[in-house]
Amino acid sequence: MLETLLFLLVVLPILGGAACLVVPSRYLRGAVIVGTCALTAAASLSLLGYGPFSGTPETVFLIPVRGLITLLDFVLLGVILFYAFSLKNRLIQLLFGFQIVALAFFEMFMAKHTAAPTFFADTLSIVMVLVISIVGSLICIYGIPYMQAHEEHLHLAKTRQPRFFLFLVGFLGAMNGLVLADDITFVYFFFEITTFCSFMLIGHDQTEIAIKNATRALLLNGVGGVAFLLGMIWANSVTGSLSIQEIIAAGPAAKGLLFAVALICLAGFTKAAQLPFQSWLLGAMVAPTPVSALLHSSTMVKAGVFLVLRFSPAFAGTFLGTAIAVCGAFTFVATAALAVSQSNAKKILAYSTISNLGLMIACAGLGTPQAITAGVLLLVFHAVSKGLLFCCVGHIEQHIHSRDIEDMRGLSVTMPRAALITIIGLVTMMMPPFGVLLSKWMAIEAAADNLFVIVMLAVGSALTVLIYARWGGNMMSAPYKAQPQKAPMPLLVGLPLMAMAGGAVLLSLAAPVLYTRLVLPLVKSAPYDVAAGTLTNPVGSFLVYPLFILLGFGFFMALRAVLKSKATVLPPYFGGANLPDSTGFKGPLGAPVPYQGGNYYLTGVFGEDKLTMWINVGAGMLLAMMMGGAL
Amino acid sequence: MLKNMIQTSRLKSPWIIHFDCGSCNGCDIEVLACLTPLYDVERFGVVNVGNPKHADVLLVTGTVNHRNKHVLKNIYDQMPNPKLVIAIGACGLSGGVFREAPNVVGGVDKVIPVDVYVPGCPAKPEAIIDAVVAGLGKLAELQKQAAI
Amino acid sequence: MTAIILGIIGILLAPVLGGLIAGLDRKVTARMQSRFGPPILQPFYDVFKLFGKEPAIVNVWQVFCAYVYVASAAISVGLLFAGGDLLLLFFVQAVGAVFLVFGALAAPSPYSQVGAHRELLQILAYEPLIILVFVGFYLATGSFKVADILAHNQPLLLQMPLLFLVLGYALTIKLRKSPFDLSTSHHGHQELVKGVLIEYSGPYLALVEVAHWYETVLVLGLCALFWHTSIFGMAILLAVTYFAEVLLDNVTARMTWRWMLGYVWGIGLAMSAVNLVWISFKGA
Ligand code: SF4
Repeated sequence: MLETLLFLLVVLPILGGAACLVVPSRYLRGAVIVGTCALTAAASLSLLGYGPFSGTPETVFLIPVRGLITLLDFVLLGVILFYAFSLKNRLIQLLFGFQIVALAFFEMFMAKHTAAPTFFADTLSIVMVLVISIVGSLICIYGIPYMQAHEEHLHLAKTRQPRFFLFLVGFLGAMNGLVLADDITFVYFFFEITTFCSFMLIGHDQTEIAIKNATRALLLNGVGGVAFLLGMIWANSVTGSLSIQEIIAAGPAAKGLLFAVALICLAGFTKAAQLPFQSWLLGAMVAPTPVSALLHSSTMVKAGVFLVLRFSPAFAGTFLGTAIAVCGAFTFVATAALAVSQSNAKKILAYSTISNLGLMIACAGLGTPQAITAGVLLLVFHAVSKGLLFCCVGHIEQHIHSRDIEDMRGLSVTMPRAALITIIGLVTMMMPPFGVLLSKWMAIEAAADNLFVIVMLAVGSALTVLIYARWGGNMMSAPYKAQPQKAPMPLLVGLPLMAMAGGAVLLSLAAPVLYTRLVLPLVKSAPYDVAAGTLTNPVGSFLVYPLFILLGFGFFMALRAVLKSKATVLPPYFGGANLPDSTGFKGPLGAPVPYQGGNYYLTGVFGEDKLTMWINVGAGMLLAMMMGGAL
Repeated sequence: MLKNMIQTSRLKSPWIIHFDCGSCNGCDIEVLACLTPLYDVERFGVVNVGNPKHADVLLVTGTVNHRNKHVLKNIYDQMPNPKLVIAIGACGLSGGVFREAPNVVGGVDKVIPVDVYVPGCPAKPEAIIDAVVAGLGKLAELQKQAAI
Repeated sequence: MTAIILGIIGILLAPVLGGLIAGLDRKVTARMQSRFGPPILQPFYDVFKLFGKEPAIVNVWQVFCAYVYVASAAISVGLLFAGGDLLLLFFVQAVGAVFLVFGALAAPSPYSQVGAHRELLQILAYEPLIILVFVGFYLATGSFKVADILAHNQPLLLQMPLLFLVLGYALTIKLRKSPFDLSTSHHGHQELVKGVLIEYSGPYLALVEVAHWYETVLVLGLCALFWHTSIFGMAILLAVTYFAEVLLDNVTARMTWRWMLGYVWGIGLAMSAVNLVWISFKGA
């Protein structure tokens, strides 16, 4: 049973991806993708039923697993090195060349083994698997019509979709492997696969900018790979074990282990694009939108958070923990501030993703049961809502050929369904009673004792509201007396979008259940009591069900008022000098001046050119503090 | 009961918007004088609002001409019902001293229905306040008729 | 059970209270300007009149937004009276604040757009401060819950004087008083011809007004927590605070958003930090 599950979760998506390469027609390819995704999602659900486990699968297709992974590891590093040479990038060559040599040396002369199981899943892994397999699958399915339209728009002579879906679907397997493996060399292998997938997918369109940004992503993630490898070697030499669980069990008490953990967390920082490594994730937005949704917001970047969360018991209560919390909180507030000056929707989402990842890492750093709960819940809710928003932007972009929020004015009329779903996504990102805010509430209350962290969280959460509120308002706006139109929405786009929107709402409603079932087993003492759908502890209380009922009633009444409204539609006020059709006003000499809206971006205060350098310097110093503090 | 309360409240909270249609500013100054501490019309709940969407009473001063009649009409149209219009000064009533000018349309009632006329050149603040009260009386009368 | 009843009482009582406070405000303001001023009940007349006006909108989202605004404001007040979690009730209040902005952004009207963006900047200015005030409550009493804070045995003003001033900033912004009435201004004033509120008219403006009363009660309720040990202390503190607000409104000019953000964040965050350090060291 266990081996089958692992096979379905890890190997099957890779096989499915490979099958995309060979199947001849696009319909067949679509069927393969849908089938693989459905199976993976079903497997993840049965893993939920199966519960936590640990075990050592010996063989896949009669090949020993350990040998296979070691072999593939070198193959993979070799392939990346090959790309590094074809890109003629010295630094990347150096980074990956070093990894090959160091890994070989480690495997041959240094590695100490114990009999610990190579795979391990607690509820944290299961949560990750669920997110990857379900949200990830929905995004892959959404990718089918998306890529079709994408290639039509580019007028490609020969489709490049097989290659695209190889990496996109195969990535699901690698990601599942990463979160399920306990042997740290396995984790390292899957970590590198995700780097590679990300590199290939960012560069997918083969434009100059795409290749440049893909190179940058490879470079920065290569730094993470080196940090991970060094941390792994160091941890192995200190504890004599390759099992993450055993390394954690050695705890902060083991001499020198803390620095190894800090190195691994550094790798997590690069993967999660924390400051000052954020540039690769911003560049990654050139990739087709399903890539941004899947890799660069919902799942892959979460691997970084996962690592820090996973190792959090190993640094709990140390200075390293506090330093990680401060770094994360700094990323949270700084990237939220940077997002204020952006009008490009994908860039806004990218910054806000980094920001939320920062908050999760801050929670992991704080390490109290309450903070860990906040971090894990945020991970889930953020994955759903952000995946949804990315997909919405992708869908909208294919219709209006712009990803600028300024151009999204009037969408509530021209694309009513897409606009409504996007607004739901935005609302679930920033308002109670929805999950993202619930987690943010937990995070703030958990951080209240740490002055540095709490000030940053307070400012950051206000900035977040500004970013999303502006965008939501733009989506709602409509020209005077515009009649709603029907915009086409293919089934395979609509279904994932609606599933994610519904999921974001329902999961928030199920937050108390999620908490008791999946988060409680992870923490030492229960941070909250659950009664009548309310999470309470001596410090605070969050009324999940009551608020759902009350606010739900409010929303319902508002909707009823809208439906029953017999309000006359008046033209907007233009000082009385309206044009006859009120689309603008009469300017000097009666010349018509059409109405135009424009948002405040406060570039004078929050502009990238004003802030980025200082933020990077600050983040670099904090990072130095973190690494130094771990020595 | 609610209806009663709304009806009494209507008489106690006339929010005015003041539109200068092309006045010599004489009447405008008198309108603004009503808001000063000496006359303090806020005693009667009168508030001078800046936009027609929030207004109940439209005070128009000055002559209507061909350039601004559209604006006058537009502002009137943007006021939600029930609403009152008060034309102020000789100009607002008939075009006043400017009525012979080639670009002049005439009084306010050439463009929109007027409820109360306030004569004078300029109209006195007392007269303007009186006009608002008279307008409200008219509104009360209408409400009573509608009730029957 | 008592909590629920208290919450319902709060929801029913707050608009009455809020309206009376608004009436008093107008009276005191008028007196400061050596006018006589409207009757105390004037705000109620205004709102009832607005309910009786013809409903008129520019974009149908405005209807939705006005209702959500009033609902969330009412729920947050209910939570306050029920002794709920401060952070939570503040976030619930923020739902309404954001929907007000949504509605204003939905209308293709220049004044409303500029007003909405300024309103967002105001939210941006006060939100961190209020969260830090709550953190102060937590550090001083060990809980974010109003019920637990009320059980504390000492007036909190003595421990958190700077945070009280910080809350004063937020109060000024929330009450739409000068120098912070950028997005729209109250009664007689005309900033941006009512900015964020311009396209809400008739019954919808009435709803917004009622929501504003709820918010007034909410923020004053937060102020009251600074002297919760005696009713008299509470009443005096609130009276003095509100009088200071009216005075401030009448003696200051309206400022720009840059000034607001710089000033409120700069001084507000510094004062909060100092006060928080002070509490945590004294407590430890
Ligand atoms: S009526 Fe007299 S005072 Fe008034 S606008 Fe006309 S000319 Fe000027």
